[in-house]
Amino acid sequence: MLLLRMALGLCFCAAARGDDFAATFDEKILPILEDNCFSCHGEGEDKGKVSFDTFGSTAELMKQTDLWVHALHNVRSGMMPPAKKKRPSAEDVAALEDWIKRGALKLDPANPDPGRVTLRRLNRVEYRNTIRDLTGYDFRTDEEFPADDTGYGFDNIGDVLSTSPLLLEKYLQAAETIVAKGLPLENRVTAQRNYPAGMFRGQGERGENDWEYQLSLYDPADLTAQLEIKTPGTYRVILNATARGSFSYDPGRATGTWSVNGKKLLDQELKWSPGQKMESSLEVKWEAGTYPLQLTLAPLVDKSQQPPDLGDGPPSVNLHLSGITLIGPMEPEHTVHPPNYERFFTRDDVPSDPGERQDYAVEILRRFASKAFRRPVDEATVLKLVAIAKQSAEAPGGTFEKGIARAISAVLASPRFLFRMERTQPTKDPAEHPLLDEYALASRLSYFLWSTMPDETLLRLAGHGELRKKLGEQVERMLEDKRSDEFVKNFAGQWLQTRDVESVSIDARVVLSRDSGTERENTERFQTFRRLNKEIDEAQKAGEEAKVATLREEMKQMRAKFRGNGRRVEFSGSLRTAMRKEAEMFFRYLLKEDRSVLELIETDSTFLNGELANHYGVPGVDGGDMRLVKLPPDSPRGGIITMGSVLAVTSNPTRTSPVKRGLFILDNILGTPPPPAPPNIPALEASEKGADGKELTLRDALALHREQPLCSSCHNRMDPLGLALENFNAMGLWRDKERGQQLASPEGQLITGEKFADVRELKHLLVTARRADYYRCLTEKLLTYAIGRGPEPGDITTVDAIVEKLEASGGKFSTVITGIIESAPFQKRQRPST
Amino acid sequence: MNAATNRRRFLRGMGACLALPSLEAFMPRAMAAAGPARFGTTASGAPLRMAFLYFPNGAIQSHWSASGSGANFNLENTLAPLNPLKHRVQVFSGLEHLNADPGNDGAGDHARANGTFLTGVRVKKTAGSDIYAGVSVDQIAAQHIGKNTRFASLEMSCDPHRKSGGCDSGYSCAYEANLAWRTPTSPLSPESNPRLIFERLFGSGSPGERGASLALRRSQQRSVLDFVMEDAKAFESQLTNRDKAKMDEYLTGVREIEQQIETAEGFTNIPDPAMATPEGIPKAYDDYIKLMFQMTALAFETDATRVATMLLARDGSNRSFPEINVAEGHHSLSHHREDKDMIEKVKMIDRFYAERFAEFLTLLESKQDADGQSVLHNSMIVYGCGNSDGNRHTHANLPVVLAGNGGGAFNPGALRSNPSTPMCNLYLNMLDAMGVPQMERFGDSTERLAVV
Repeated sequence: MLLLRMALGLCFCAAARGDDFAATFDEKILPILEDNCFSCHGEGEDKGKVSFDTFGSTAELMKQTDLWVHALHNVRSGMMPPAKKKRPSAEDVAALEDWIKRGALKLDPANPDPGRVTLRRLNRVEYRNTIRDLTGYDFRTDEEFPADDTGYGFDNIGDVLSTSPLLLEKYLQAAETIVAKGLPLENRVTAQRNYPAGMFRGQGERGENDWEYQLSLYDPADLTAQLEIKTPGTYRVILNATARGSFSYDPGRATGTWSVNGKKLLDQELKWSPGQKMESSLEVKWEAGTYPLQLTLAPLVDKSQQPPDLGDGPPSVNLHLSGITLIGPMEPEHTVHPPNYERFFTRDDVPSDPGERQDYAVEILRRFASKAFRRPVDEATVLKLVAIAKQSAEAPGGTFEKGIARAISAVLASPRFLFRMERTQPTKDPAEHPLLDEYALASRLSYFLWSTMPDETLLRLAGHGELRKKLGEQVERMLEDKRSDEFVKNFAGQWLQTRDVESVSIDARVVLSRDSGTERENTERFQTFRRLNKEIDEAQKAGEEAKVATLREEMKQMRAKFRGNGRRVEFSGSLRTAMRKEAEMFFRYLLKEDRSVLELIETDSTFLNGELANHYGVPGVDGGDMRLVKLPPDSPRGGIITMGSVLAVTSNPTRTSPVKRGLFILDNILGTPPPPAPPNIPALEASEKGADGKELTLRDALALHREQPLCSSCHNRMDPLGLALENFNAMGLWRDKERGQQLASPEGQLITGEKFADVRELKHLLVTARRADYYRCLTEKLLTYAIGRGPEPGDITTVDAIVEKLEASGGKFSTVITGIIESAPFQKRQRPST
Repeated sequence: MNAATNRRRFLRGMGACLALPSLEAFMPRAMAAAGPARFGTTASGAPLRMAFLYFPNGAIQSHWSASGSGANFNLENTLAPLNPLKHRVQVFSGLEHLNADPGNDGAGDHARANGTFLTGVRVKKTAGSDIYAGVSVDQIAAQHIGKNTRFASLEMSCDPHRKSGGCDSGYSCAYEANLAWRTPTSPLSPESNPRLIFERLFGSGSPGERGASLALRRSQQRSVLDFVMEDAKAFESQLTNRDKAKMDEYLTGVREIEQQIETAEGFTNIPDPAMATPEGIPKAYDDYIKLMFQMTALAFETDATRVATMLLARDGSNRSFPEINVAEGHHSLSHHREDKDMIEKVKMIDRFYAERFAEFLTLLESKQDADGQSVLHNSMIVYGCGNSDGNRHTHANLPVVLAGNGGGAFNPGALRSNPSTPMCNLYLNMLDAMGVPQMERFGDSTERLAVV
């Protein structure tokens, strides 16, 4: 079938234009439809409001783009005809597919329509990254800007990114803040350098590249570092260490000491507080050489005293050590340019001659505006900017630098910075869709793979007109670069919704007690706690000391009883973070090693740290660092479907949602989402009570639901997928029971007929029988993200070509990335007349 | 230090530093700014304010309704927190937004409820490329009276988090993230950070420094506006269709800011509240809402604006409420299918929101306006939802309370029954009171309400 499709692909490239598709329809296609489709979608039947024979004429029928896009999609994904009906022959499917593509949809593989991308505004992630790369200043857009609207599942869709007056006001304000904080207004300062915590080794050490160590006041530490001084002079050594406690009180205490070059400067007691600094700033006159630094912690309270989590998060108290700051040498002859000076300025000093100053302003602003606009700026604009700078410099209290700052804030508020303006190359044939010019291509690449502006290399190649020639090696370089982490965070983060796992609302206590069947008991227990707390408060207010004491005693007993319960009752922040990282790092790993995208679904390894491994029941993994771990042979983990992040974001706050989980797989892996639920029908799984008022299991409640014809067509698609995952609770923890009852077998059947016994078999089906669906789905998602618009019928050609290449390469990651970058939608713009 | 230094004490401390300053000192200016025409003022010449507060997912109807009729009534259950201010509220029944019904659009009642609430139109079903609603009622008012104040309107939200992936059943997230629409294609994104609202209203820095910071901000903006305006115009001429529309949004923004600066320059003596700038978004939801309402009250009191919208949470919100020990998500619960336990929890959530509303009204009632009346007297505040029954997704008999005397235009202290009447009819009465020249229609309105 696949070979046949490829063969057909070849022949329709060669086919002469002007085929009589209407005639072909009557001769060949209509009989196929009559045999396979009309029993539901013709001759008076219009199941799902779809019928093929109500349009009056073949010409009219051929104009129904939506109908044909759907028909093609459903036939190829095996959704139609339904599994219980006879399958049409491979030849017929191929003929139908070919006719729909070339005849009804008029796709032209030789000159595919690149579609229409609307002018894209930088979203807040792109804005933040771009500002950081441009100015060196990290402007927190996540706090300052409103969230961007999303469309088609992503937040970088041109049509949806609107610019409200409020946002524009924020852009202006942001430009001011950025120049105020980021632009150096002096040209020489005393050198200052921050050393990370990782410079310290010894008892309590963490990773060498860690900026910050969190040292528990319950554990002893003895950390030393060697500070190397190259230039003799006067220095100041500042310790950056602050003790911080959790939200709830923790009695932990320790003695902390700090010594520089053998001299003890601090010896203080550290304890739970909203930020107790170890304050030390020492001025020294040093020769070149190596000087020792030492930090120690001696605990004063035993770890057994640490209180349990009473609902506000686990108590903790840590010393946050973020290394040291070294200032100096302070002698004037050793001063340096301030940080980021070179990003803005090109000379050591500002010339004193007015004419030369003007030239210098031109030089600075031309360079900066070209980088900010991501293409060379015209001279007229530069002169306008210089005029702004001049006016501001000549105002009372003005300086040359302040003038430059004003002009730069104008650049940052300009639409040429905020929007990605794309130009095209001239075409010889007006019927052809023009290629993007090289600068526009550089921006598309960098925002796709880095979520930021093009770097100097890309702009230089674009300037020489060599980027397209060297596309392959540049893409490879870009994927190697650290900045491609942004692609993982923003694409995978939205596709797999891992962005949400850290904020999704899940009540661990309720989830766990539901599994163990102690829901009611626990509810009562917590109500007692709440009552007691309230009564204690009231008694305290009324000054009834005796009553307070009695109540406190009662509380203590309750706690003791509760503690015996033994199991942790928190879905902690660190675990959630580990889950997000697992998904991101695994995605990153496949991308970097150029492995098969099929491994995203089915694989024998994943990224774990001690905490997550413990959660998954994988033995032999300790410590906080995430690393690639080979899973035990019988593990149900491996692949995104059974990752904690996906399992959690597809759950409700107190329990699993098989419907949401099924929908997730259909939406994001198979690319066959069911239509939205009909209006006014609540989610049936919300109620788990049967007709007799008894509580049903979710599985039974859903089965009841599927008996109704209105619900069955979609729920038959979703539920079996979600129910296969019922052994994972809302936190992604494995369970055999729910409400104390053994869970039913996870076996099920895809709507396309394939049966599976458990989630492992389900994963295997997805990468074998349904592989093409998955390839197509992933390709469409990536294309949407890459070009910032929703799928259009014209993309079918592009996507099909990439899917074929994926089949040939065994799903190599580079195949799909390169395929998209080389495709017409990425490389071209629709010609204006269409 | 002991274990008692905990969350409760921390929050109490925070409450103290947020106590509102007395702002009566600023009031005389408000009178002066009333201007010649009666736009957005009461008969006595004091400013008249309008706010729309949206809570999500409908309400348990049986628990919402008040007992009695007309002026002889009692607020119970969900609305009980409003009892002390009974004489300032009108509880409406029978108002509806039929344009939020499915019609031919199928699923997506949450997106529609949210998108229709202030626009009264059927919003276009699209996941992205071509959102289309209508100009919202608050913006109609703002366009008429906005020049009287430093800000034409304030858009706020207590729901800062956005979901990855799609929103309700094929509707763009824009419909549920925004209440206010300046044009049918331009929603006004709300601000959800109380610190940023405060700084926008009064400037940044400590008390005493803020006026200068606002003036500086203005002069800096001026100098770049001309440049970017020319830039945008030069590019707009090269663009087509949707691209042009995007650049239009930008240009409109530039013009609006120019307008704002011009308006602001007409105001001297901008108040500088003697309070610390809020630090950011409080952790607990009730504290968060309280703080956002304080910002709204502050904006009204100082006459920084007369029009405000507040999205407490987007419709369809599945937030859980640890503050009142409701672990399940609101949206999941709202599909209770008559399950008693779930209904109880939804009632608790309904009550939670009503309490916050009552706190806001109490705050406004405690502030004296320029004419000696309370700020609440000189306001019209709609509290409501575009879904009436979250379980069945209906949009008739919406839960709606109107608070405030509209500066004397309204007669609160009554239950108002208007069976099967468009919600937009009420909006017409409000626009009239605001001094907007007689509109014939708004949204799906049929006429004005006879009694408000």
